[in-house]
Amino acid sequence: MDQLDILKQNWQSQTDNSPRFTKEQLTGLLARTSSGIVKWLLIIAMIEFVVFIVLGLVSHIANQENHTIEMMGAPFYYGSMIFHYVVIITFIYVFYSNYKHISISQPTSSLMNKILKTRRTMKWYIWYNLTYMMLVGMIATVLVIRNDPKVTELLASPEMAGHETAFYLMALGASFIVFLIICVVMYLIYQLIYGILLRKLQRNYNELKRMEI
Amino acid sequence: MSKQLEEEFIKQLDENQNIVHKICRLYTNDQHAHKDLFQEVTVQLWRAYPKFRGDSKFSTWMYRVALNTAITLYRKSTRRVTTQDYESVQFKIEDQNEEDEQMEQLTLLYGAVKQLNDIEKALVFLYLEDKNYREIAETMGISEVNARVKMNRIKTKLTNIINP
Repeated sequence: MDQLDILKQNWQSQTDNSPRFTKEQLTGLLARTSSGIVKWLLIIAMIEFVVFIVLGLVSHIANQENHTIEMMGAPFYYGSMIFHYVVIITFIYVFYSNYKHISISQPTSSLMNKILKTRRTMKWYIWYNLTYMMLVGMIATVLVIRNDPKVTELLASPEMAGHETAFYLMALGASFIVFLIICVVMYLIYQLIYGILLRKLQRNYNELKRMEI
Repeated sequence: MSKQLEEEFIKQLDENQNIVHKICRLYTNDQHAHKDLFQEVTVQLWRAYPKFRGDSKFSTWMYRVALNTAITLYRKSTRRVTTQDYESVQFKIEDQNEEDEQMEQLTLLYGAVKQLNDIEKALVFLYLEDKNYREIAETMGISEVNARVKMNRIKTKLTNIINP
């Protein structure tokens, strides 16, 4: 006879010293909140949405004070802003609809799949924001330095004669490096948070997938 | 949620709480983690309960939610504890004469099952609960053939753990 079947025969008779809960204790448990990863995914997503929306608003206020809008040109400035918020709203919608479909009573493999899909949405959201910040940031840099009176003044000085192109390239290069550093830092933070949260799920998902080969 | 729904739920949970305890015992290594997982399973069951339409048995639905919680949602690391107290699991054996030897074998087997990974534990658990391969496959979301193949591999693995 199979060894597992020996255990199976006695399986229902197992006991240990962990107590059975009374009905009152069980009722008490209902009031507790979940500490599961789905709740954490939602919290992290909310933070991500809020952070980038606030970041956009803060930079808008700063730009208004510094006359950056006039220097950049209103059509580019407002155009990119509207585009940005439309994309964010789309992400919120996609996230919400993924999230809504996470149901604990579905088969294990599809539950895991839904959770990972929700996480992927947030990954794309971060990449979108970083790319947007970099592209718009660099275009804005070019537009601003072309129209900034202080820069015009500087370039008009005798020492700068003949070095205009080098100046522009350096300004662009510097902003590119700053954005690159931001990207790397964000990526690391991101890997850390989701790594801790989903390591076990990813491992179990891979195990389940391996069975299907 | 209504009081009546809550009473109905508690009644069903109380009748079937042994299932949850068995899963907690399998996936955790100490009393504290056991209670912690039990609580998370209860919360998940309760939250999903309004959508439970009774087209399957409460216990069947419960297997799914409880295992999903243990494998997928539960966040606490199970590797933290090095001293395992699965020896506290006892089996009631009817034949007094064979008790010691059989008890030892069962403890050994249970210990081997505890060494399996999360997915393998789930398959073994459902098998021990006398579920057929179709039910096991449905719960895990894999094909019946894969469930069967995997189960055979697990049996070999268990034999190797017990007789290294």
